[in-house]
Amino acid sequence: MGIDWNSFLEGLTTALRFENLLFIIIGGFLGTVVGMLPGLGAATAVAVLIPITFGMDPTSALILMGAIYYGSMYGGSRSSILVNTPGDASSIAATFDGYPMTRKGQAGQALTLATLASLIGGFFAIIGMMFLTEPLSSFALQFGPAEYFFLLLFTLSAVVSLSRGNLIKGFISMFLGLMMTTVGVDSQSGVYRYTFDIPHLSDGVDFLIIIIGIYAVGEVFYNLLNIKNEDLKVKSDVGKVWITKEQWKRMLGPAIRQGPVGFLIGILPGAGGSIASMISYSTEQQISKNRDEFGKGAPEGLAAPESSNNAAGVGAFIPLLTMGIPGSGTTAVILGALIMLGMQPGPMLFENQPEIAWTFINSLFIGNIVLVIINLALVGALIKILKTPSKILYPIILVLGFIGAYTLGYNIIDFYILIIFGLLGLAMKLLDIPPAPLILAVIIGSSLEQNFRMANVRYDSFMDILTASPIAMVFAALTILSIFLPKILNYLAKPKV
Amino acid sequence: MPIFLILIASVYLILTFNLPEANIGNPTAAMNYPLLIGFSLLILSILYLLNEYKLSRKEKFDNYNVFKDKELTVKFLIVLGLCIVYSLIFEQVGFLISTSLFLLALLFVVNGRKQWLINIIVAITFSFATWYSFSELLGVSLP
Repeated sequence: MGIDWNSFLEGLTTALRFENLLFIIIGGFLGTVVGMLPGLGAATAVAVLIPITFGMDPTSALILMGAIYYGSMYGGSRSSILVNTPGDASSIAATFDGYPMTRKGQAGQALTLATLASLIGGFFAIIGMMFLTEPLSSFALQFGPAEYFFLLLFTLSAVVSLSRGNLIKGFISMFLGLMMTTVGVDSQSGVYRYTFDIPHLSDGVDFLIIIIGIYAVGEVFYNLLNIKNEDLKVKSDVGKVWITKEQWKRMLGPAIRQGPVGFLIGILPGAGGSIASMISYSTEQQISKNRDEFGKGAPEGLAAPESSNNAAGVGAFIPLLTMGIPGSGTTAVILGALIMLGMQPGPMLFENQPEIAWTFINSLFIGNIVLVIINLALVGALIKILKTPSKILYPIILVLGFIGAYTLGYNIIDFYILIIFGLLGLAMKLLDIPPAPLILAVIIGSSLEQNFRMANVRYDSFMDILTASPIAMVFAALTILSIFLPKILNYLAKPKV
Repeated sequence: MPIFLILIASVYLILTFNLPEANIGNPTAAMNYPLLIGFSLLILSILYLLNEYKLSRKEKFDNYNVFKDKELTVKFLIVLGLCIVYSLIFEQVGFLISTSLFLLALLFVVNGRKQWLINIIVAITFSFATWYSFSELLGVSLP
């Protein structure tokens, strides 16, 4: 079978090198902190912290960003449990039973349960990843422009249709993103497009600036407008941290069952944590013996979404690593940062540099363990951070966004572009237009265009592209299907309370 | 906003039609794809406008409610202004001074005047720490 044990061991030793371990710890901690801030999720965490990776070698940068990413997922559930404000959409389900546990004085136990469930989910997903990545990447090696074009199209439409909100808004967001990628010199014909004679724009708008603008500056703007004057009421006393035997027994089943579920949902483009955790919550609720306790602090109800959410987060890396296609806003951000560091994830990564991929997979393993330690040992410190007024942290994030934008191109024009995109992000947030399709479109837009045009050159008509191969046809069919999918999924994911 | 989107799409389309023709290969190759995007966005924006119009008859359009809080809106506008000022002075004054001032001003606006000591400490420590880690540890040059 597909596992190359030599590369695996090599990856393990690289991941265990001192500096990489340090990056895992730093990234996990920073990610947890940003993830805990209400309203700021994984995408923001990665976007703001991108500048830290400058000058690193790509492997370490990938490890660091991976750590930030799942650190922020752990962090997101902290604030769900403690103050009933989810850090982002994927930790909404953790509030259903996590917060009731806090109100019953079991905050410490709830945190431990969530952490252990995440760990179990993450482990399942990483094992799944070990088996799936190589076969998938060799499959992706056969793709030509027609296949890639439809795969990219499918990814985009899936992200649009699965992000909450209505389809029209999602597609508007997507087309805005695609539009931005056409700015700059056209690489095939040398035509200057939409540069308005500003020399700096001839390379196009840097996608990382768009990302930082929308996810960091826009989010901070939005939160500044919604700042509440009363401070969060967090009890410093979380009660016992150790869970009882009975709680352990009750959480183990759901955590083990929902790990693989979350993993599979996570691989699908567009799905991801928020949908995975909702589906897991409602299925566990239906099959549980303690159905009545759901919503009132049932350990099962906390374990299921947490395990599934974390597994989905790992699963989302699979299309990214094997095909170079991000399945969510957050992985799109990570892809953007990697491209900037000169690394091109995709099928060739496994062909040419398998050790990078395996190092990363191993670092996920280690990172999950490190995060459990961070989260359990530092419960007290983390709660203190949650108490630091967000009024101090928001300005810091804003400044970090500016610094990040500057270090990308050393040009002051980027500041103005950043402000414009911050305002756009704010407007989209106010109008409930989902940002993920735009971000995704910005990252994969130019490769969509290139593949579209290469396919146009190779084949005579659109029908020929469509019928180029069975794979292309399947992806085209999936694209159409994905537009109708949300209705089916909404039905499944509705928690039956 | 929908009207604004229609405007963006139209401007984009006009710019697309005015693109110079390519010298190599298919002369309109650089245009076809943007045309597709431009028209799609235009159609969607019109759909969006129609949708909003239908909605606004039934229920009040309340997305802009956040701006009703005068105090917060003013604060937000000040923050926005500070961002622009920061962009203007960044290269002239240098990273360390401009960032400290920017963060300090932000903290005073957002966090309030009462906690001035914390504000000053945070602003200076943070600016110095980032400056140090970027220019010394990561080798990124800052003005």
